[in-house]
Amino acid sequence: MKISRDWLQTFFEQELPPVQELADALTFHAFEIESVEGEVLDVKVTANRGHDCLSHLGIAKELSAILPIPLKPSVVGKVDFTGTDSLQIVIDDPTLCRRYIGAHIRGVKVGPSPAWLRERLESIGQKSINNVVDAANFVMFNIGQPLHAFDRNTLEARDEKVEIRVRNAQVGEKIVTLDDKEQSLTENMLMIVDGHSGALLGVAGVKGGKESGVSDTTTDLILESANFDGPSLRKTSRALKFRTDATQRFEQVISPELAAHGMRAFIELVLEVAGGELVGVVDEYPGAADMQTVSVSLAHINRALGLALSAEEVSTVFSRLGFTRQDGGEPSIFAVQVPRERLDVAIPEDLVEEVGRVIGYEKVPAIELPVASAVVSNENVARYATIREYLVSQGFSEVFTSVFAEASERAVSNKIGGDKPFLRSTLAAGLQDALERNVRNKDLLGIAQVKIFEIGTVWRGGEEKVEVAIAVEKIKKQKTQDEYQKELDEFVSRLSSTTRSIPSSPLPDVRYEPFSKYPFISRDIALWVSEGTSADEVLEVIRAHAGELLVRSATFDEFTKEGRTSYAFRLVFQSFDRTLLDEDANTRMESIYAAVKEKGWEVR
Amino acid sequence: MERGHVHPISQLVAEATRIFAGMGFAVAEGPLLEDEWHNFDALNVPKDHPARDMQDTFFIKDEHEKVLRTHTSSVQIRFMEEQIKNGVQPPYRIIVPGKVFRNEATDMTHEAEFFQIEALAVGEDISMAHLKGTLARFFKELFGGAAVEIRFRPSFFPFTEPSVEVDMRLVGEHVPEKLRDKWIEMGGAGMVHPTVLKNCGVDAEKYRGFAFGFGLDRLAMLKWSIDDVRLMHSADLRFINQF
Repeated sequence: MKISRDWLQTFFEQELPPVQELADALTFHAFEIESVEGEVLDVKVTANRGHDCLSHLGIAKELSAILPIPLKPSVVGKVDFTGTDSLQIVIDDPTLCRRYIGAHIRGVKVGPSPAWLRERLESIGQKSINNVVDAANFVMFNIGQPLHAFDRNTLEARDEKVEIRVRNAQVGEKIVTLDDKEQSLTENMLMIVDGHSGALLGVAGVKGGKESGVSDTTTDLILESANFDGPSLRKTSRALKFRTDATQRFEQVISPELAAHGMRAFIELVLEVAGGELVGVVDEYPGAADMQTVSVSLAHINRALGLALSAEEVSTVFSRLGFTRQDGGEPSIFAVQVPRERLDVAIPEDLVEEVGRVIGYEKVPAIELPVASAVVSNENVARYATIREYLVSQGFSEVFTSVFAEASERAVSNKIGGDKPFLRSTLAAGLQDALERNVRNKDLLGIAQVKIFEIGTVWRGGEEKVEVAIAVEKIKKQKTQDEYQKELDEFVSRLSSTTRSIPSSPLPDVRYEPFSKYPFISRDIALWVSEGTSADEVLEVIRAHAGELLVRSATFDEFTKEGRTSYAFRLVFQSFDRTLLDEDANTRMESIYAAVKEKGWEVR
Repeated sequence: MERGHVHPISQLVAEATRIFAGMGFAVAEGPLLEDEWHNFDALNVPKDHPARDMQDTFFIKDEHEKVLRTHTSSVQIRFMEEQIKNGVQPPYRIIVPGKVFRNEATDMTHEAEFFQIEALAVGEDISMAHLKGTLARFFKELFGGAAVEIRFRPSFFPFTEPSVEVDMRLVGEHVPEKLRDKWIEMGGAGMVHPTVLKNCGVDAEKYRGFAFGFGLDRLAMLKWSIDDVRLMHSADLRFINQF
């Protein structure tokens, strides 16, 4: 999420360090930083910290613990939740909505936001809409609670009362959302509904309805600060193809306690930027959560991290994080009460992690494991290593082809693109295809016969197994695939199951050279030279006049007759940036012909 | 007869196997087509975790709770379950080199099928310092004795607690310039989550462990300056015969 340094500063009296230092502090003690642009950090909050860190307050708390710099005393929380009869709230299923706070504000004036509010939102890439919507967004990015506002006058009032009901959608219901899209709803989607008229006001935690939305003429508001079930909401947002900043926060599960802070801040800000007066607040809170206490011993922390921290050092970390240590008990046991928003902290290892990351993992030394008894080689590994070595000694090169195939017994159900969804039942097809592709490049490869093999997994007859297969280019007077296969079968049949030695050789000390993706052109040249002239001598002349397009040159025939030697060479031309034309090769060949003639060699 | 060429990934696996054997790690194996218990549940990945979403995992048609494994970590579970079944208590030290799958569009740095190597060490007194020490020795040997520094950054994986990202830096004059003195992100690691140990029947009060997993394709790309991950499955000898 985008975090502005100026915005963060509002949580601290003391001047924060420069933005790059903040980025480093977070990187090594909390979260990856995706980018730093100007004074804005893009923080990649991990999935376990979506509970508490998708806000400036959350990141400020982290920095306060890491740097460490004290936070200002909390500035929200002055508004009293005075009840009102003008609003009723009904939650059908408290497992899907653990808390719903509604507030009635009347006499607001909807309009543009003040400059400071617009600038805050724009600094993190958010668009300003109007003062009420901006207030909701500001509070969400400030402290993490998603909020919403309805135009109260779009609800049906009975005896001056309106009712908000939280229930699942009914079959066939549809809603037009704020972005003018009509959505068909299914029964597992949680909705905010006008309890009197039954009209749909919005998709809970996902998107408000257009009908009930705040407009320029709105004067009375119902503010919503609620807690919706994460997994259920994730399914809804996926089905509707909506993923808003609000859904993102609910999906990660947030504490229902936060809803109260959110509502107080929301009310204060709306009154400040849109005027009006608070009529009252209704807090329906069926799912109140207890405070978590988690214990860990000092020895456990040190043994898991490989450190030798003192009780005092550990104590300091917990107090910087706002984890309060319970009184009494052994001095070497830390029983700490975890802040309510830290839903990720539940077991001793979670506390180990808190200590490790706040202290800094750079403090962890590198220590080798104690010496263990000798390892017995894995039978399969040894077997395939032996077969691999045998095939390579026979001139075969090892390839890997895809496990996905055009057709076979089993398939994956959801392949992106849908191409080749089947799991191969043999290696043969993939290998044959690879053979053909490599044969086309044979001149470039400079090999006499293309021979490849694969050791790979196949799925056949309801079983998964590893197989070895070969593919051999058919060439006259050379050994055929069948002959090689027979030899391989014999070799394999002789392999004893007790073979446990694994052939190994050092890794090649090479640097991969990219090859051209363009087609190449081969040309042969045969010539007579006087006996005693070496092939290398001739090749040197050829290479010197062939230019930089010559990528490979090799002798393929040689014989001596009546005091003269005949050589035949294959020359391969290729460019890195274009498809060569015949003329390109012709020009090069002409200069080669001229050069060899000058040497007195006769082109045949 | 002129020798053929071993695929660079196989060469890397063989070398890693040799280095880890020197530290007491044996190779363990498991199926590529996994059940959700071994690939997710036992690894403490909850049912509603985003990683289990349709778009990341290949599910098998008409086969309930079957997936192409998304990581080699599934083999940690199989191995520990098997040991406990046979009455063999820790210490355990294994590595798992093998193919894994991710249902995503491919480009120069992403492949739907690729290779990982996983390591697991479980014992009475295993710490993050051992994790660092093991990684340092592995990379040092792999990069021909270069001086290696290992750095951890906090991260999150459901199957480790604490969880870290591992960065590595090679220093010294004979390190290729492209790699010298640069921090390179290698993969994820951490202390095995006690729930994972419990799920396999290992006494989590008594034993602790570390685990890490890296992409082998990426390691090969670094080691030999390979610019496109898709070459690994290209079966193209213009590539393979360079090694």
